[in-house]
Amino acid sequence: MAEIFDRLVIRLLLALFVCLMIYVYRYAHVIFYPTVKRQVLKKINPAENPADSLHLFSRIIGIALIFSSITFNETSGFFLSIFHFAVWGTLAIILYLLSLYIIESIVFYNFDYTDEILKRKNMSYAVISFCHAIVIAYLTRTVMIEAENSLVILLVLWLYMLVIVGFSVKYYTFISKLTFNRLLIQKNLSLCFSYGGFSLGAGLVIASCFDQEHYDITVYCIQVLLKTILSLIIFPIFKKGLVRIFPIKLGEERALEGRIDTDMQSLGYGFYEGSVFIAGAILTTMIVNRIQFGTIYPFF
Amino acid sequence: MYKFFLYAMLIIIYLGLAKALSPSEIGIHYLQNERGFSKLIKGDLATVILVDTHATGFLIKTYYQKYRVISGYDTVEELIVRTSKEFAQKNLKHIGLSLYRKTDVSEEFLPLPPGSIYMGNREFGDWSKNKKGESRWIFHKAFKNFPRYLGWGTFRPTREFYQELKSKVSLNQPYFGPNGEFGPNGKVTRENFPQFFKDERMKKVEMKTLLIEYFKENF
Repeated sequence: MAEIFDRLVIRLLLALFVCLMIYVYRYAHVIFYPTVKRQVLKKINPAENPADSLHLFSRIIGIALIFSSITFNETSGFFLSIFHFAVWGTLAIILYLLSLYIIESIVFYNFDYTDEILKRKNMSYAVISFCHAIVIAYLTRTVMIEAENSLVILLVLWLYMLVIVGFSVKYYTFISKLTFNRLLIQKNLSLCFSYGGFSLGAGLVIASCFDQEHYDITVYCIQVLLKTILSLIIFPIFKKGLVRIFPIKLGEERALEGRIDTDMQSLGYGFYEGSVFIAGAILTTMIVNRIQFGTIYPFF
Repeated sequence: MYKFFLYAMLIIIYLGLAKALSPSEIGIHYLQNERGFSKLIKGDLATVILVDTHATGFLIKTYYQKYRVISGYDTVEELIVRTSKEFAQKNLKHIGLSLYRKTDVSEEFLPLPPGSIYMGNREFGDWSKNKKGESRWIFHKAFKNFPRYLGWGTFRPTREFYQELKSKVSLNQPYFGPNGEFGPNGKVTRENFPQFFKDERMKKVEMKTLLIEYFKENF
């Protein structure tokens, strides 16, 4: 009974420590978004600005996702495991916010957080930002798991991941019919669902490329690169296939081009594109990662 | 058209990078034909015995061969190579035979029973008469493991075997032994290279049997 009670106490203490780390994160968030200082450090009113609530809480979901990858090893001592969590948790917060800052600087290079979220309450911007937060968190989590408590490997893999994500976000303009900047200014929700589907799909594909056994960092990086290129080859097949299997009608026959444009900006088209991107990405991960070709060794 | 070009480029880049960087491509040599042995085999008085052969792939097959390389005064090694389709198929009937031999002065590429390079070489053994009065090749004690390495088992070549072997070499014809002891149908080869002749590798499974086994295992 005493042992069970002791373990419960340890769990409760660690839960409190994780809360403390999230408190630390709240202040770290201010470093990257100094303009929200007043909102973040005061009580948050979700009804006042839903876009801002989504933007902020998506990051909290993200940091929770990353923290879930860190393990406590109580056998090495309670304080040492707390120290381990504090070090890796802090690292996770820094890397996560830095990744978000860099990726959002690439995607929203024409937009400003203060203008879009605080002044214009742009929900499209908030949803896209939400997707970024989740995807980057998921990828940082994957990279942290793969690094296996090695700081050097973590930094190498994180930089590598960031480069791949940076390229992948630019891929959206190739495969979507929607005009990103124009529709984002118009607060178009079709865009956010389409881009959301794309970024979540891309995140799944990239995470699956990183998720593999590794004994040598160079060979591992080569394998990740090869899998990423392979995904780029496979994904269009599924995207084209899904579009052919479920064809859509845009505008009436002989309609003016403007009518087709209006239909494309509808919420339905956003759902359609987003779903195609996610489904295509999931199927791509299956083709890239779930086929076991075997080796010659069972035979030889 | 632009997208198609980009896609084609992507496939070429993938194939190129996979070929150049993939770990599965590193460390396995490619053997176009028997002439390629010259570069791979370094030791003197070496004989290369084909131990096993295997093809992987669905539409485009990759052929692998496993060799036992016996160097006269060095160690015995295993060598796995990728080969061309022609070379792999040609040598299907040469399992257990020596496909390459290298001496100080020459190279031989004719498929012959393993150990032919050492027969008649007094450094390695001598002809010895048994109780029946037959003269057989026996290795010196220093090379007592050679019959096992060569896949002879209890077989010991006679002088007649050696003479016949030499006449086949002069005619540039492969040799499988007086009673076909060597090769895929040879008794000696089948006994001493059991890996290749395992029942599960030899039998051809029908689709119906395969499906029944699948349902038994999975449901």
